[in-house]
Amino acid sequence: MPESWLPAFVAAAKSVGLNYGFLLNAFERAAWLNGVAVSVELSLLSIASSLAVGMAVAAALTSGRPWLARPARAFVELMRNTPTLVQIFCAFFVLNMLVSQVVGGPRNNPLTAYAWVVIVLSLHYGAYHAEALRAGIEAVPKAMRESAVSLGFSRRERLLHIELPLAVRFAWPSLTNNMVDLVKATSLGSAVAVGEVTYASLMIWVNGDNVLELMIFVFLVYAVLTLFVAWMGAWVENRLRMPGYGQ
Amino acid sequence: MASEDALILRTSRVVPRISPVVWWIAIVALAWLGLAHFHGNTVATLRVWLPLLASGLWMNILISVLAIGIGTVLGIIVGALELSRMRWVSAPARGYVQAFRNAPMLVLIFFATYVFPFEIQVGSLYLPFPDWIKATIGLALPASAHIAEIFRGAILSIASAQWEASASLGFSRARTLRWVILPQCVKRVLPPWMNLYAMITMSTTLASLVGVTELLEVARIASNTVNRTDFTIFVYLAVLTLFFLYCYPITRFTAHLEQKYAFH
Repeated sequence: MPESWLPAFVAAAKSVGLNYGFLLNAFERAAWLNGVAVSVELSLLSIASSLAVGMAVAAALTSGRPWLARPARAFVELMRNTPTLVQIFCAFFVLNMLVSQVVGGPRNNPLTAYAWVVIVLSLHYGAYHAEALRAGIEAVPKAMRESAVSLGFSRRERLLHIELPLAVRFAWPSLTNNMVDLVKATSLGSAVAVGEVTYASLMIWVNGDNVLELMIFVFLVYAVLTLFVAWMGAWVENRLRMPGYGQ
Repeated sequence: MASEDALILRTSRVVPRISPVVWWIAIVALAWLGLAHFHGNTVATLRVWLPLLASGLWMNILISVLAIGIGTVLGIIVGALELSRMRWVSAPARGYVQAFRNAPMLVLIFFATYVFPFEIQVGSLYLPFPDWIKATIGLALPASAHIAEIFRGAILSIASAQWEASASLGFSRARTLRWVILPQCVKRVLPPWMNLYAMITMSTTLASLVGVTELLEVARIASNTVNRTDFTIFVYLAVLTLFFLYCYPITRFTAHLEQKYAFH
């Protein structure tokens, strides 16, 4: 039970001048732990959907059809050259308002701030994934593509069974990097009052003078989350490794 | 057969080299014209807010330039320390880089804002320590960590034989770094440094969350004050466009430099 060692931890922290008293308050402790859980959930959801967006956009970029490739390129450039926070505000204050007007009042609007943050982070990092995957698709050896054509693979079959599986392996280190950045960007959710760990900490430190103490905890949470994603990325990279392809 | 070849060529072609900035300007101009038609008042209202929006953008540029400046100086020092052969010098430098690269910038800005005092006492003088300078420091810290990594990577990419060659010519390690290695690094460092500058510029919007009146904050105040649907759309689109127009040329130029300096 946490109750047994928590007071000891708080007392030990007090002796070095750190005030972790909020941990003994059941309400604040639960709120903070919930913030950690929301951060983890937000990261996992956004990582999964950003990968889906990235693959779709990369497919469009390399489709060779201008009417698909050009809007996809414009989307990627727009996403990569504007601030994530501005995108979140545009989504939450502009698109959300328009959606509300269409469905007749904010009460009928199914989209929450949480949903908008997931959408924006997925699109933003999806654009970064798409660039990495595009490079991967272009790195597929020409002979392999030609063999697929000669075996009668359709364009979609080539993409799904030959190009993407190789591109993912090639691009995986970049994708892992983007995912680490995505985990860090979930802190932006606090700007629209999504209760992830930054926001939960903010709510606690405005009630007391324990900013530094909470900062240390927040840094630790992000350090653990990013290290976990980097470690998972390395594990997957190892699992996907094919002899004779890639590094 | 010929058609098959054409197909292969087409699919393997590099992404079309159009300038999306043209498309984007056209789309936004159309959207704005549509909006202005929808509500003629909007343009007049925007004109009222324009000076404030411009001063907001100036704040973004000021913060980004200062942050990248401080970050570059700090980053070069930390990067050089990281390369030291003395463990007690390189280990703390590596820790610094890891700590500030893995922390979200928003949290670092919160950190700088809430942990630093609001004024500094110098003798009997109390100097104010405004929020925008704190935000600048909050951005300069991660910038310095990124620059340390870029710088270290560039130095390590120079063939080690050059160190040995200049040692045999009687150069000390410091002088080798200054006169032999660094001049060659500039070329390799420039593209990632510019990418970082674009990233820092975009991150200056985070300062709005600690009450710095930069562009995004002004836009938010404007949209809340005017409180009209079309103006809200207008003003946020304007912020998006301004950042795009500032950052996109930097990215294009970086890509150009990367191609130019490749394989050297």
